[in-house]
Amino acid sequence: MNLLLVVAFAVLVLSSPGIAAAQAVIEGKVKLPKRKAPPVVVKRYEIVGKGGVLSPDPPVAIVYLEGTFAKPKQALPVKKILQKDLVFDPALLPIQVGTTVEFPNLDETFHNVFSFSKVNRFDLGRYRADEEPVPSRLFDKAGLVTLRCDIHEHMRALILVLDTPYFVTTDTKGRFKLAGLPAGKYKLRAWLDSKTTLEVPVELVKGEALKVNFE
Amino acid sequence: MFLTPPSTTSSELSASPKPRCRRPRPVGVCGSVPTIQWLVVCVWVVAAAQLRAEDFLDEMESALTFSAFDDELRVHVSGLLDLEGYKFDQPAPGLLYTESDALLNPRLTLFVDSQIGPQVYAFAQVRLDRGFDPGDEGGEMRLDEYATRFTPWEDGRLNLQIGKFGTAVGQWVARHLSWENPFVTAPLPYEHRTMIYDSEAPVSPHEFLDQIGEAEYDYSPLIWGASYTTGASVSGQLGELTYVAEVKNVAPAARTAAWDATAVGFDHPTFSGRLGYRPNEMWNMGISFSDGPYFHPDAEPTLPSGSGIGDFHQTIIGQDISFAWHHLQLWAECYQGRFEVPNVGNADTIAYFVEGKYKFGPQLYGALRWNQQLFDDVPDGEGGREDWGHDLWRADAAVGYRLTAHTQVKLQYSHSHEACDGRGASNLLAAQVTVRF
Repeated sequence: MNLLLVVAFAVLVLSSPGIAAAQAVIEGKVKLPKRKAPPVVVKRYEIVGKGGVLSPDPPVAIVYLEGTFAKPKQALPVKKILQKDLVFDPALLPIQVGTTVEFPNLDETFHNVFSFSKVNRFDLGRYRADEEPVPSRLFDKAGLVTLRCDIHEHMRALILVLDTPYFVTTDTKGRFKLAGLPAGKYKLRAWLDSKTTLEVPVELVKGEALKVNFE
Repeated sequence: MFLTPPSTTSSELSASPKPRCRRPRPVGVCGSVPTIQWLVVCVWVVAAAQLRAEDFLDEMESALTFSAFDDELRVHVSGLLDLEGYKFDQPAPGLLYTESDALLNPRLTLFVDSQIGPQVYAFAQVRLDRGFDPGDEGGEMRLDEYATRFTPWEDGRLNLQIGKFGTAVGQWVARHLSWENPFVTAPLPYEHRTMIYDSEAPVSPHEFLDQIGEAEYDYSPLIWGASYTTGASVSGQLGELTYVAEVKNVAPAARTAAWDATAVGFDHPTFSGRLGYRPNEMWNMGISFSDGPYFHPDAEPTLPSGSGIGDFHQTIIGQDISFAWHHLQLWAECYQGRFEVPNVGNADTIAYFVEGKYKFGPQLYGALRWNQQLFDDVPDGEGGREDWGHDLWRADAAVGYRLTAHTQVKLQYSHSHEACDGRGASNLLAAQVTVRF
């Protein structure tokens, strides 16, 4: 019993923010690609009031640590990609392998989320705002998944399924900070788009902060 | 002359005998072309190329979107590249114009969609193909659609549109493009040629009825395809209700060559509309109407003395309903049509179709459609009455497979049967490969 208490205490202490601060940190900046022109909602044959002005997310990058890490022992938290005002929100979502993503429809019209990507091919069918349960999908293989809507051809989103628990989305200026990293030798990658992933080898030392810029 | 039928002249028609079924035509040179085999080869070539080109097409989609003035002006260019092949019994069914028993029709469709601020939307559609209704003729390029829409309120309660665009009647226009249409061909009411001849008035019931079986380009279906006629519309959404009212230069039965404002002006406009009820996203139902003169101005000299183009109307009353839920989609449309025929009377017809599509997975779907058209009788000029067309039914079955998000392959088989004494059954096999960009 005493041994169990010691182990539980150790787990609690090791997972606390104070201890995490003692682990390695990487921060830096990624040079982001230029912003793309927002899409045009095709409404030739239907009445679409909203959708005149779309504000897609500005470019961001995903920075992640590549290495061999233990698989999660517990179910990962469910993530969400909304369909609101005829766009996916967020338009780019990084998740860890084994994450389930829900796709709630917040519009007053049908959406039909589908993917032809090899790592996860699916079609959720047409569903409306009050659909219960909320349509969802488990992403159990690493890779890039392109989401589309079969009804609104301008809608596009990406899910980057990563085999690592250490990843972060940059802000719109490209700044990032990855904290709580284990010491060791790894590759630090910055994913910019389906064809561009930058990479630098890093050696992390416990309690030290590393600065990495992807130019 | 304005109307130039691709393969049959008026004089040929008036000198023709009186067949009771549409006559089989001899197989021409093109009949020896193994259209379907070529299409299968093309499918595989396109599929192989597509798997590599997927990223390229995604990038092209993005590259063909332009914006300026802080995104207040946005323009998107997109397109469809279709290759379709038909194999059929003669005479060619629907709106196909060939004396062969096979036809290959490549088609490039380019769209320009633009948004100017939140309130102004404009679009255009240009096609390069072997005719809106494909035939043996060479290639042609047309500006099929162009329109500008003004939407003053964000909730869409009012939209004003002017230009050349699809009819407000029914729901099929919204899914008539090759990427959305589960079939290669259109439903029967949108493509089955009746005995209505808009270039010349019949001199007697006898002559009108004698034309049965000679249907060619000069003869009109109840609604000619998507009917991209010219005019203006008012449309909107008020809660669960939707409405469209439009004034166009010609009737829904008018041929493609009459759709342009420069071809036929607005001396004899047609009024059409649809009132829709959408209790939720699953259901969409509505009633449509259309009323307006259907004769081309060239027919004026042949009309009875004292009458004019405006005295002979095409009237349509339609009902439509659709349902969608998850992977299932159902549609049904029913039309009662009337043509006021000079020297004959009212020629009435009912045409309907019921259609279903089910997606078996992200890529594979199947679709079935049942179509039927029934013709009423008209005075035969000898004290009796006679049907002015052959009742017919047609069953369509199709499978489609989306190779990628940009590539689709369809295969359709249709069997139709006309109620007549001679050869009333006919078959059609059609295949279509589409690349969307």
